[in-house]
Amino acid sequence: ETHKYKFQSSDPAGNPNFELQQNWAKDLAERTDNQIQVEMMPVGSVVEHNETLDATGAGIIDGIVTDISYFAGKDPAFSLLGNPVGAWSSTDQLLDFMNNGGGQQLANDLFQPYGLHYVGSTTTGLESLVSKVPLDGVADLKGLKMRAPEGLVQDVFAAAGAAPVNLPGSEVYTALDKGVIDAADYTVFSTNQAQGLNDIAPNPVYPGFHSMPLVGVAMNKKEWDSLSPELQKAFEESVKQFADKEVSDLAAADKKAVAKAEEGGKIHVHDWSDEERAKFRRIAITQWEKVAKKSDKAQHVYDVLTDYLKKNNLL
Amino acid sequence: MIEHLLSFDLSALGIGYGTVLLFALLIGLLLTGMPLAFVTLLVALIFALGWFGPMAVPLITSRVYSFVSSFVFVSVPMFVMMAALLDRSGIARDLFEAMKLVGGRMRGAVAVQTIFVSVILAAMSGIIGGEIVLLGLLALPQMIRQGYDRKLAIGVICAGGSLGTMVPPSIVLIIYGLTANVSIGDLFTSAFIPGFMLAAFYVIFVIIRVKLNPDLAPMPEPDDRPWSEKIKLLKGLILPVLVIGFVLGSIYGGIASVTEASALGVAGVMLSTIIRGELTLSMLKGAALQTLATCGMIVWIGIGASALVGVFNLMGGIDFVSSLLKGVSDTPIIVILTMMAILFFLGMFLDWVGIALLTMPIFVPIVKDLGYDPVWFGVVFAMNMQVSFLSPPFGPAAFYLKSVAPKDISLGEIFRSLLPFIAIQILAVGLLVAFPAITGH
Amino acid sequence: MQNEDEAATIPEAGILGRAINAVGIVFALGIIASALILLNEVVLRYGFDSPTIWAHETTIFLCAMAFVYGGLYCVVRNSHIRVVLIYDMVTGRAKRILDAIISLICLFAAGFFAWAAYGMVMKAIFRPGGEVHFETSGSAWDPPFPAYLKIFLLVVLCLMVVQFIVMAVNYLRGAFASEAGK
Ligand code: NA
Ligand code: NA
Repeated sequence: ETHKYKFQSSDPAGNPNFELQQNWAKDLAERTDNQIQVEMMPVGSVVEHNETLDATGAGIIDGIVTDISYFAGKDPAFSLLGNPVGAWSSTDQLLDFMNNGGGQQLANDLFQPYGLHYVGSTTTGLESLVSKVPLDGVADLKGLKMRAPEGLVQDVFAAAGAAPVNLPGSEVYTALDKGVIDAADYTVFSTNQAQGLNDIAPNPVYPGFHSMPLVGVAMNKKEWDSLSPELQKAFEESVKQFADKEVSDLAAADKKAVAKAEEGGKIHVHDWSDEERAKFRRIAITQWEKVAKKSDKAQHVYDVLTDYLKKNNLL
Repeated sequence: MIEHLLSFDLSALGIGYGTVLLFALLIGLLLTGMPLAFVTLLVALIFALGWFGPMAVPLITSRVYSFVSSFVFVSVPMFVMMAALLDRSGIARDLFEAMKLVGGRMRGAVAVQTIFVSVILAAMSGIIGGEIVLLGLLALPQMIRQGYDRKLAIGVICAGGSLGTMVPPSIVLIIYGLTANVSIGDLFTSAFIPGFMLAAFYVIFVIIRVKLNPDLAPMPEPDDRPWSEKIKLLKGLILPVLVIGFVLGSIYGGIASVTEASALGVAGVMLSTIIRGELTLSMLKGAALQTLATCGMIVWIGIGASALVGVFNLMGGIDFVSSLLKGVSDTPIIVILTMMAILFFLGMFLDWVGIALLTMPIFVPIVKDLGYDPVWFGVVFAMNMQVSFLSPPFGPAAFYLKSVAPKDISLGEIFRSLLPFIAIQILAVGLLVAFPAITGH
Repeated sequence: MQNEDEAATIPEAGILGRAINAVGIVFALGIIASALILLNEVVLRYGFDSPTIWAHETTIFLCAMAFVYGGLYCVVRNSHIRVVLIYDMVTGRAKRILDAIISLICLFAAGFFAWAAYGMVMKAIFRPGGEVHFETSGSAWDPPFPAYLKIFLLVVLCLMVVQFIVMAVNYLRGAFASEAGK
């Protein structure tokens, strides 16, 4: 029996993440002797990125590979689990929490009521902050006009003294170029570099300190339950390997892009000291508490997350 | 009855015949005279029901919701509001009177000036819709009043008004940049010359046409009004030029984002009407209601097209278009030309967002593999979308103009007027393909 | 002005159509409000370095409401674009019957969309457990605009259904009446 699935990504087609996702689909087919065939569809191809939760639950599409904080409007818990700003200093920490520290269970508790099974986790890595002006610490954020997307990221920057501007991704480039904003939360260094953002805002902060999105692989629960235990296991294994591959590939791409950017001499990469990073994290944690109060599920995520961080001496 | 209807399984047709049936239905229903927005919505519904069943229908309402709540469309009502206010005040008429003076005794001067104005509007806006309505309300009646050939006037407005996505900033290029992961700055830089080239072609076309057939544009009467009166007329230019300067300045001076700037334009025009002592409550109400009606029409056309693309993608449309390209040829240029043909064909039926969603995932990797520059291809793509705005039966530019044109101008007449301009756009696409150097790549 | 406005509604739209036409001004004013909000935002950000967190989302919401309502507004004014190549060749009673058929087909589509929108609204106002939670935008401001907009879309689609019924009946009545008149 073959299972043919349509999965929608939260990345556009030419994005390196999307290509990695297509390779994951190939790997999954190989592992299962073509019994599971996933067709990856780019962002927005069937429904908009923040509507995929409902669409997967309803069986319109079969699954998603998405930044889970896009569902923050359904429950703030998605935002807290999806991007607890300041929690993670490395991808290993995030993936260990998700795979061994109770994160998987949390995610499944969140997704299941919507009719989805949460299969596994990956991430794009620490994002790099795009900036026109030199930023070397929390003090430099004061009054900074920066674009921040929905959710926790915006709260945290506001708490740190910045003036977050609500702009859609499609206006980021022109707004930065013309100086309507000075900085922007966008994505990882290599993609920022490829799309020319570092050319118009030549003071990127790398490695970033503000955002490491959790990218989840989830699918319609009925479809998942219809898979044999062997196929389910192969599916889970393939997602784990996908995560390793994505993390190492994107880190390598970032390193290469940083070297190339510095070579040109026009782009100045700023790396924050541990002290400044800690300062930012302390501000961030005050905002987690605020989000946690918004729903029971968010409070639960907060408890499990801080518990893990304490146990591992990460707080 | 409904049960029977729902049990009909369209997916048995396969994607190839399914696609043929979809386009046939689209044309067939269009010809019945059913409102266009409902034709596309209905075809999307029929395929959602027939191919997948009732559970797929929410995908359409989800797309409707997402489409209307997208920030880029906020600039459409702003441009329409500007137009509606200018139209109701005396500013528009004064502006064209003054333009007549500036144009002097050159045949076709107002048409050429209209193209010039549309380039300025294009530099202020990243999408199309609002500009065509604006030019349609202001320039069309003035050109007709001054004795210009209707077809020439219509063509100039639709073609010029579409330049918004060719001259940077352009949402088409931004979406392409995000999809293809190439620098949006490079795309903008590369699109400048092709955008101006296209506008220049329109100007050359107008000048040649009126030279060959002087009936198309009357020679302006020698103006023997005293200079004192002429200077008074020239004053008519001051306020509109200030508003334009205000809006352009706010974008290029880093004061406002492109969408915000369109709102500044509305404020600027309102202020102008106040200065001229023309603003009344009933005028404001009339302008606002006209904006509501025009936007309802424009946006619902987009809604229908967006819904249709979502359903087609779910049917496997992306794979299907990809299969059309596979094995076409080993010669790179043939592959590129096939892509152009596919874009041209899709442009007859879909709006650019749908075309981008459908074709970019397939085309961009192939273009890169063939060794072409993806930035160059982005500019070629944007140029192709210029054609899609004008080409029948689904030509958004024509629909936008129709919504504000005098009742006796039919859609058929608009499309006929657009044919030479479509030819010019295809020529421009051809030039970009033949001489990539035009884009600097 | 009042008369000009009312004349814009087609007679077949009936009382409901005139009501829909009259309410249009509310959403039209929303567009003017959007322009003023954006102006205010630019002044606050550029002049005072203090952008708001609500301007863009409010603008999008007001414009989205106007876009959705605008579709209904065009139905009662019969100002949606049509390809009239063949449509205009049909006249008299046949035309009224054709209009009635088109209204019925639109009714069929709008009915299905209203049904689908109902499901969407249920998901936007209840959590899966049944607890009431209006879907929010997820931003720092986090207004429940997504839920409001989905509810509004459902209301407009339902109004469209009723409006198409009214129009179909009136077109058929017109076709019938002219027959009786002969
Ligand atoms: Na433009
Ligand atoms: Na077209």
